[in-house]
Amino acid sequence: MLTRRAFHQSLVAMAMMASLPRSATALSADRNTEVFLNRLTFGATDADRVALQTLGREGWLEAQLAMPITDAGLQQRLTDARLHITYEAGDDGENRTWIGIDEQRPLGFLDADPAGQVDLLNFEIGMDFSERTRPAQEVIAASLIRAVHAQAQLREVMTQFWHNHFHVNALKDETTAVFFPSHDQIMRQHALGNFRVLLGAVARSPAMLYYLNNADSTASPANENFAREVLELHTLGAENYVNDTAPNWRDVPGAADGLSQAYIDQDVYEVARAFTGWSVGDGRTISEGVDAPRDGLFHYVEAWHDPYQKRILGVEFPPHQGPLADAEQVMDILSHHPGTARFVARKMIRRLLTDDPDAAMVDRIAAVFLQYADAPDQIAQMVRAIVNDPLFDATPPGKLRRPFEFLAGLYRATGVEVAAPDMSWDWQLQQAGWKQHSYGPPTGHPDTAQRWSSASTMARMVDYALYAHDAWFACTQTPLAGLAPAQASFDTLGRFWADRLLGPGAEADFSDLAQALGVEDGAAPLSLTGDEAQGLSTSFIAFAAVSPTFMLR
Amino acid sequence: MSNDPKLVVIFLRGGCDGLALVSPASDPDFIAARPAELRTLRQGDGAGHKISHDLADVDFRFHAQAAGLSDLYNAGDLSVIHACGLSEATRSHFDAEARIERAASAGGGAAGGWLGRWLATQPTAGADLPAIAVGTALPGALEGSEAAVAAELGNLILAQGHWLSPALRARISAGFGSHGPVQASMQQLLTLSDMISGRIWSETDQAIRPYVPLVDYPEGNPLSAPLMTVAQTFKLGMGTRLATVDMGGWDTHVRQQGDFAANVGNVSQALIAFWRDLGPLQADTSVVVMTEFGRRLRANASMGTDHGRGGVMLVLGPQARGGRMLGRWPGLANDALEEGADLAVTTDYRQPLAELLGSHMGTRDLATVFPGFTPTPLGLFG
Repeated sequence: MLTRRAFHQSLVAMAMMASLPRSATALSADRNTEVFLNRLTFGATDADRVALQTLGREGWLEAQLAMPITDAGLQQRLTDARLHITYEAGDDGENRTWIGIDEQRPLGFLDADPAGQVDLLNFEIGMDFSERTRPAQEVIAASLIRAVHAQAQLREVMTQFWHNHFHVNALKDETTAVFFPSHDQIMRQHALGNFRVLLGAVARSPAMLYYLNNADSTASPANENFAREVLELHTLGAENYVNDTAPNWRDVPGAADGLSQAYIDQDVYEVARAFTGWSVGDGRTISEGVDAPRDGLFHYVEAWHDPYQKRILGVEFPPHQGPLADAEQVMDILSHHPGTARFVARKMIRRLLTDDPDAAMVDRIAAVFLQYADAPDQIAQMVRAIVNDPLFDATPPGKLRRPFEFLAGLYRATGVEVAAPDMSWDWQLQQAGWKQHSYGPPTGHPDTAQRWSSASTMARMVDYALYAHDAWFACTQTPLAGLAPAQASFDTLGRFWADRLLGPGAEADFSDLAQALGVEDGAAPLSLTGDEAQGLSTSFIAFAAVSPTFMLR
Repeated sequence: MSNDPKLVVIFLRGGCDGLALVSPASDPDFIAARPAELRTLRQGDGAGHKISHDLADVDFRFHAQAAGLSDLYNAGDLSVIHACGLSEATRSHFDAEARIERAASAGGGAAGGWLGRWLATQPTAGADLPAIAVGTALPGALEGSEAAVAAELGNLILAQGHWLSPALRARISAGFGSHGPVQASMQQLLTLSDMISGRIWSETDQAIRPYVPLVDYPEGNPLSAPLMTVAQTFKLGMGTRLATVDMGGWDTHVRQQGDFAANVGNVSQALIAFWRDLGPLQADTSVVVMTEFGRRLRANASMGTDHGRGGVMLVLGPQARGGRMLGRWPGLANDALEEGADLAVTTDYRQPLAELLGSHMGTRDLATVFPGFTPTPLGLFG
């Protein structure tokens, strides 16, 4: 699958004289510090290590929670970033033509007014498909830059968590692609905020309304797609679906007392009715002579709403509640429901700490969810509670870095610039089953090691470790030699990269590499050309990264 | 029964609309409930392929794009089981897929997925690659097994062609001592990498020897590459008994007509290419096509269909007398529908699977694979 560097690397081998293998004397690395940072960021860097040492855990956590959404360095990188776009001249078969393009283009859609994007859905205007999906491609490109370089790392970790929770396949079709930037903004803005507010914003997110078809849901029959996933994936979770044991709403525990503890298909049907009319301002025809606005924002169509009485989770909804009220009430109920609290708490613990969350800890974090259900910092409170939970430190590192996290962590550790990515990394990650913002099913990517540890996925991790810093991988052009000390031996250069990837003084064994290179004296000074130095550093990075210490957090 | 039986399980993710794949085209309840775009018609441009059967007094038709399936059916290689699915009423993708793939009640003591449990009953000693899940993740049905997971065989080669590959191999071999799932995966990678390299890696060319199928597979078809990997795996003689393939895109809530037609065309064309590519291995191979549920009889207001219940399963391969529709057709009258909405399930999805495992694969211990299931044979194998 990948190119070979045998030539350069053999030069490296020749440049290495001297003897001595395994001199990896392990100072005792502070594993707790490394694991703490690796859980709450996309990977520990030297700057994080210093900050954590200076501020202490609580100070570091509070600083992260208080950090503004963006920072000057990140903003500059996003401004400087260019994403390649290329296509040939073409036509749409109806005499609408376009010229060929091959250019490096800025990420202009990230903060753009969505009204300007509505025309990308206008098929009266001829353009190549890649123009119509460009907004989504820009968000995907930016996601790696953010993961590697954002100062607000914890917010970025949680942004990606919520992306996965409220998953939209940005590349499902033109419609999800065009409005994906505003969906991304919602996730980042509310990543540490209030769940009810986030849920309400998601239900108004044009990309979501398209992805799960609610934009087309009218009475009657309503389209059930979004309603079902709101219950199954966004709030109560499949763990609270009891359709096979409760044939009627009355049979669900709690229903007779005014609030069902779980849900059945009858609730799905009713929630679907509650969300009828929640659509998108994309200029669509509402009725004869009436068009929706073309602002690219949420648009409610009262004429499409099913206004009559409903019963949802045992709660009676009167008829004719007025615009938006049915669905707002549904979201109020769901975001204060103990089932939602447990489901969301378990998922957050699974993301930050362990594949197999402890039941009592889930209850503790769910209680925080409910206690702060109306607070603007509800999610931040949950993060605090998870980090301060006794099980946070008592849980050994067992979370496998998933492909995106592995790649971002690699770049953070080595300290290279990822400022102008091509999309080849996205293709590379897809070979391991990771489709950044374009995973097919609405579940989002799985979050357990079992689903990311197949032999072929492991083989891809090895490939990333070997090739991610090569120019052809098209993510970074930073020469590794410029980061490493100029005067070095095999041993000190190995130590340098091991410190960066695994933590200061962490155990690292480069004896197999030394043997492959024919190194006899690991302490002998090296004299390397630029290519040789790049090749040797790359090899150290690969051997350090392909290890349980780097792969697990 | 074959001495070297093989099973391919194709899972259509998202809920394939069985009523559009194999349409009861003449059923007045069907005609009344659905717009013409979401039915297979008996005449005109989009007319379906008529199915000869004795299931019920209904003119069943394969979807117009299913010419390949129709050919396989008429050749006696394919059978159709309609109104088939889960006995428990669930219309959730996640829940239905999990139940089907586990094929055992939760907490009932039967661990893993049905194919994982089945593999455990198999004598796989000496087999280099007993099972392959084509893709990037182990499907739920194979949980509990050590099936290889790969989109293509070359993906299992460690640091393909890199001069450091042997050194990395040594490091990995020594360096993942006691680290649970990652250790086991890395060890499996090393074993598979050595084995696969020995079969498809050319030292002379420093490249993978490409697979040359007996027939061309359709281009731009998402099933072509996976099924080619299956055919290649079978032909390499690695003792492979089982392959799984997933195909997404069946959750057709809006404007179903075009997407569904494309999906059906892809399945039909890729499957017939695969079948021809197998050549003499046809005699050893059974393919089952399944999904988590069928879709709602009545369309929604956005020209799509929501999640339903009974669906269609297809079985391709040597059988008693292929080219039949099996099971029981409950009809689509209001009082025959499940919960007044959906095609009722009259055949449990485990029934065809149990017959395939029992008669084609020669498995005796079906109680381990499908605990608590009492078979009522359809007669796939006589």
